[in-house]
Amino acid sequence: MSDELEIPPAVPEAAPRATSQAAARRPGVRVRRSLARTGAYLILVALALFAIVPFSWLVLAAFDRQASIFVKVPTAWTLENFVNLFTNQDGLRLIVNSLIYSGGATLVLVVVATMAGYVLSRYSFPGRRTLMLGILLIRVIPPTAIIAPLYIIATSLGFLNTYYGVTLVLASWQLPLALWLMKGFFDTVPIQIEEAAWVDGATRLKAAFRVVLPLAGPGVGALIAFIGAWNEFLIPLVLISDPDKQPIALGLFRAYISYTQVDWGFLAALSMVYVIPAVVFYVVARRALQQSVAGGLAGT
Amino acid sequence: VRPVRSWRDALTLVGFLTPALALLGVFTIWPAVWAIYQSFTNKALTGFEARSPHFVGLQNYTRLLGDPDFHSSMLRTFAFVLLSAVVGQTIFAFAIAYLMAERPRWRLGFTPLFAAVFLLPLAVPEAVAALLWASTANGTQEGLLNRGLGLVGLGPVEWLQAHAFETVTVVNIWRGIPFAMVLFAAAIESIPRTTLEAGLIDGASAWQQLRRVVLPILRPQILTFLMLTTITTFGIFGLVFFLTRGGPGNATEIIGIYIYQRAFQFFEIGLGSAAGVLLLVVLLVLGAYYVWLMREQV
Repeated sequence: MSDELEIPPAVPEAAPRATSQAAARRPGVRVRRSLARTGAYLILVALALFAIVPFSWLVLAAFDRQASIFVKVPTAWTLENFVNLFTNQDGLRLIVNSLIYSGGATLVLVVVATMAGYVLSRYSFPGRRTLMLGILLIRVIPPTAIIAPLYIIATSLGFLNTYYGVTLVLASWQLPLALWLMKGFFDTVPIQIEEAAWVDGATRLKAAFRVVLPLAGPGVGALIAFIGAWNEFLIPLVLISDPDKQPIALGLFRAYISYTQVDWGFLAALSMVYVIPAVVFYVVARRALQQSVAGGLAGT
Repeated sequence: VRPVRSWRDALTLVGFLTPALALLGVFTIWPAVWAIYQSFTNKALTGFEARSPHFVGLQNYTRLLGDPDFHSSMLRTFAFVLLSAVVGQTIFAFAIAYLMAERPRWRLGFTPLFAAVFLLPLAVPEAVAALLWASTANGTQEGLLNRGLGLVGLGPVEWLQAHAFETVTVVNIWRGIPFAMVLFAAAIESIPRTTLEAGLIDGASAWQQLRRVVLPILRPQILTFLMLTTITTFGIFGLVFFLTRGGPGNATEIIGIYIYQRAFQFFEIGLGSAAGVLLLVVLLVLGAYYVWLMREQV
């Protein structure tokens, strides 16, 4: 996007001059345009406020010893909530669980999607196109639509309340998108790079793994997988009832609906920890993500 | 791209595809097929029907179609999708993106800063988004929104009680609109400047420019995004469930929550599956159109 911003020199330089004659003939234009600009800024500022104001509770309550559900500036700023979170068994447990689920799902997904993406990109075979479109169609199925049978299947296969079960389910939910991403990624890597390695005596597979894998593609896939699993709420809600195996999302929910005594400082600190990887992810992967969603979900 | 020529190629192909297809098969396709099967049984989580469910034909479907709660849940979901995905995240977002995007004779400053701020709501997980709004839209006088209203002398509004549906719709727009805007702005900026300038020299107004040049060029991207956001919005669960659990009454019981409650709170897995199948049908129809839009990308 910002590449686009750098280009302008010649053409736009000329354009305003050409049009300024027209503007001179209609003196109202300049005024109208600066009015429009002011209006545009007002709208953008209003929207930025809309986007950012709800965060005030999180930022303030996390550092407040007497945090409540209400937004207030702490009388004494403190890190106590974070200390509690990391020394308290339950808090630490939630964080570790979330890391297990997301880390596991990412690992599974990167391996599986890279393998499949590679052959989908490099080989042509009958039904390849149908397969790609079919995978895309699977993407539209939301967890809500099939959560009931998934629970029954989990019961009969015995992966209810297990780490590996939830990890695999989470991985499979991100898989269609990851497959498309990886296939699109391999499409952009010229086969000549691999062929060079074949000449050096590597087998086809060795060449693929040695040459192609170090490129950036799997990294982006990994990020998307991690964050998708990190954020998921419904799947653990249904498949995990053991409090020792809850991820953060469930911990937040259970703490929030416990009517007895909600520890708001704890909730805010936990939310803060929960948000950090997600925000870092968006900062790191923003451009890749835009492509993947703009094009990507749209193709590449 | 090359055709499969040897046994070795064929083996590689099958070997590399199998793990992915197995994962999809076991955790997505099987449950989807099982949903159809189960929707014809009286499977329950507890009691006699849990152990030996039997076929009940179309009974679950006739019950659903006769259930006013299901009707209102479906209608509510359509309204939720229409307001937040179509109007909010597509039409409204595009209009603002058009403001933000740089184009000939129109350039605003600070747009990267705005874009960064706008991405924050999407970056937070559903659970945190819900907590943020539980605080912001708190119905007492101390709630942040109500304190704002109090400044201009308006009484406290019980956002999540008296206006729960509107509030969760706004929360969903809050989460989705910023990203849509940034995306659309990038798409608008990717249109060649010369194309836009040609229009300007012909004396087109900004509005004509939008209608005659920008929209036709971006039509495929807009349509694809519209389909995608529509489809994902149908599947929303966590954000709303966390905030309201479908209440008060069933004011915010969108279809995802309806299914969850039938299946796991009333323990009627068969009925929940049937509702899931109906949702699936709607989504597969939309999805077929989405895939058709994407057919050239393969």
